[in-house]
Amino acid sequence: MAHIWRRHRVLLLTLVVVLVVIIIITRGMEPRVWASILLSGVTLAALYFLLASGLSLIFGLMDVLNFAQGAIFVVGAYVGLSMFANPRLFFNTLPFFLAVAAGAVLAERYGVYLWRRIHTKRGRRIVWWVLLALAAGILALAVRNFPIRALNAFNVTAVGGTVPTAEAQEPLGVMFRRMAILFVGGLPFGMMLAPKERHEERPRRPAWQTISIVVALLAVGCLFLVGRNVGEQFVLGLSVDMRFLLALIAGTLAGALVGVAIETVLIRPFYGNPVTQLVLTLGLSIVMIDLVELIWGEEGNPPMQPPSFFSEACRSDSVFAWFSEHCRSVDVLGRAFPTYRLFIIAVGVLVFVAVGLLLQRSRIGMIIRAGVQDSEMVQALGINVRRVFTFVFALGSALAALGGVIIAPFLGVYPAMGGIFQLQAFIAVVIGGMGSFAGAAVGTLILGLARAFGDHFVAAGIDVPFLETVIKGSPAIAQASSVLIMAIVLLVRPAGIFGKKE
Amino acid sequence: MDNVLEVRDIHTFIGQFHILEGVSLEVPDGCITAVLGRNGAGKTTTLKSVLGLTPPREGSIAFNGEEIQGQPAHQIASKGIGYVPEHRAIFRDLSVEENLKIAERKKGDLARRADFIFGVFPDLKRLIKLPGGNLSGGQQQMLAIARALVPDNRLLLIDEPSEGLAPVIIEQVMEAVRQLSAHATVLLVEQNFIMASQLADRYTIIEAGRSVKSGMMADLVDDQETIRRYLGAA
Repeated sequence: MAHIWRRHRVLLLTLVVVLVVIIIITRGMEPRVWASILLSGVTLAALYFLLASGLSLIFGLMDVLNFAQGAIFVVGAYVGLSMFANPRLFFNTLPFFLAVAAGAVLAERYGVYLWRRIHTKRGRRIVWWVLLALAAGILALAVRNFPIRALNAFNVTAVGGTVPTAEAQEPLGVMFRRMAILFVGGLPFGMMLAPKERHEERPRRPAWQTISIVVALLAVGCLFLVGRNVGEQFVLGLSVDMRFLLALIAGTLAGALVGVAIETVLIRPFYGNPVTQLVLTLGLSIVMIDLVELIWGEEGNPPMQPPSFFSEACRSDSVFAWFSEHCRSVDVLGRAFPTYRLFIIAVGVLVFVAVGLLLQRSRIGMIIRAGVQDSEMVQALGINVRRVFTFVFALGSALAALGGVIIAPFLGVYPAMGGIFQLQAFIAVVIGGMGSFAGAAVGTLILGLARAFGDHFVAAGIDVPFLETVIKGSPAIAQASSVLIMAIVLLVRPAGIFGKKE
Repeated sequence: MDNVLEVRDIHTFIGQFHILEGVSLEVPDGCITAVLGRNGAGKTTTLKSVLGLTPPREGSIAFNGEEIQGQPAHQIASKGIGYVPEHRAIFRDLSVEENLKIAERKKGDLARRADFIFGVFPDLKRLIKLPGGNLSGGQQQMLAIARALVPDNRLLLIDEPSEGLAPVIIEQVMEAVRQLSAHATVLLVEQNFIMASQLADRYTIIEAGRSVKSGMMADLVDDQETIRRYLGAA
């Protein structure tokens, strides 16, 4: 007992202080107010957690601060929204990305032969810039006059309504031409990614693998184009629930793919160079948000229609009644609480349990935990740790994108939301301890609750004992609460709650 | 007698520093070969270069007759090279069992080798569920060596196994290395000349990034001149 006190006295003292503060805040508060604040806080925490868990895993394993996490979250949200409300946009743009990817994969495999012909460093640098200009020029040419606004306009009209006609879609011939040009535009891009110096050359994929990947990408793209009308009618004909499920899958998959692309193209060449990686992801996040605004417009979208499970216009008396009634809100100690938020909490808990099990029980989880401490030693055991890096990056990005999709029916979708949620997720990771999965969970829980209590403090004020007055905070306080908490935690434990001292 | 490992004139850079300026060495099958030299001579970098953790820019490395330089480290290790790094580098957050299990290259490696491993290191069996970080320094060293024994490795690279250990523990580690050398060829880096001279059959001395002398350990022990010149006191 005594030595526990000696070793953790700062922590224990802080806990006591926190408890006293909470008791003061909640003193005289009715249980129903208490409960609804708690639930709101946990809802926010679940959303923060979907971003923070990926940030923490990626930082822990690869020492990469992924500033693009918020942008991936936004991309996930928009892809999900498109799948849900405007599959036309989805079917008409996805093949473009596949075409560029196909060109890049092909050129990356055979780019070595180009670089081997150029013998001077200066020459290689000039060729690199020429390729960049070429790629940008061809890509710009390929998407010139593409009716993106008109496609986007269906977003609102198509919600739940009848299937619109084929207007605003370009004829298939034009689309195929665009795809062909984009494929060509992907070629210089892929060459830029190919190993340039002799000693950078690595064993290459067998030719048949490369060709099959390229053909598969192009084939899927063409299939989407040819089947775009059928596909659109099919998706819009589905029930809201099925479309929501599709949105979840599409958004999460898109996040995973974006993650893989970022890791292989931008992060992998710069391991051991964290500042470069940080600046690259930061720059990329700005570009991605601009791209999102270009495709989907700068103005936000109102909350998406939630699945029918959460949308009946009634109020259930208990969670059990809700299972049969599917009401929009449920009675929690006499106060209405939106049931969709319970779903968000459930997703957060599910992800926590699933990723926790993956880390603790599976071989890849074991490798991740070992790699967090010493990835070089993991490699020395004969494990291809780079492949694990890519997997973790994809996983983290997929979770962020999943967060983006499930937030859509709750807060709507707008380009700026990535920055807001990313900041909170970063603070949560710092509070919990960089690289600690449990820390990310605890950090987000603290922040979510603090935010909910802070908002209540602003709206209703706190009854301070002995002063006999009610003190109300300004909205700035509620927003600053997370930073304040971070400052306090870092003063007590500089490495975060679960952080390890270096 | 075949050479398991042949290193020919490798040059390794770390950042812009030219660490190895021409190291050559041979590791004959079934022997313990010691790499000797002063602090900072490039002994650890030599091991890391063999494994591809710090890939050499020039020179060649042949393992089992196959040229391996330039391949990624995980591929080189999978060919049958075990690595016991300095400071042990066991995974502190993983249990002893997980520390062994993670080294498996085929499913069931650990089960197949368990008798041999726990025969050499009976202590580990008792500690199997403990986190690696809770082990003492000597136990961690045992675990690091045991980890390299889990897959079928033909060559073991062992870096400073006696570092920071009490004399009694050093005796145990030496005994373990002697036992496992019956099963695999060993390339040993060791500051402790007495330990190295008792264990090794052959030696190579590295001085300022160059291999300067190699031969039979039995001859070196009597060669006071060489010992004084390259290894300082002894």
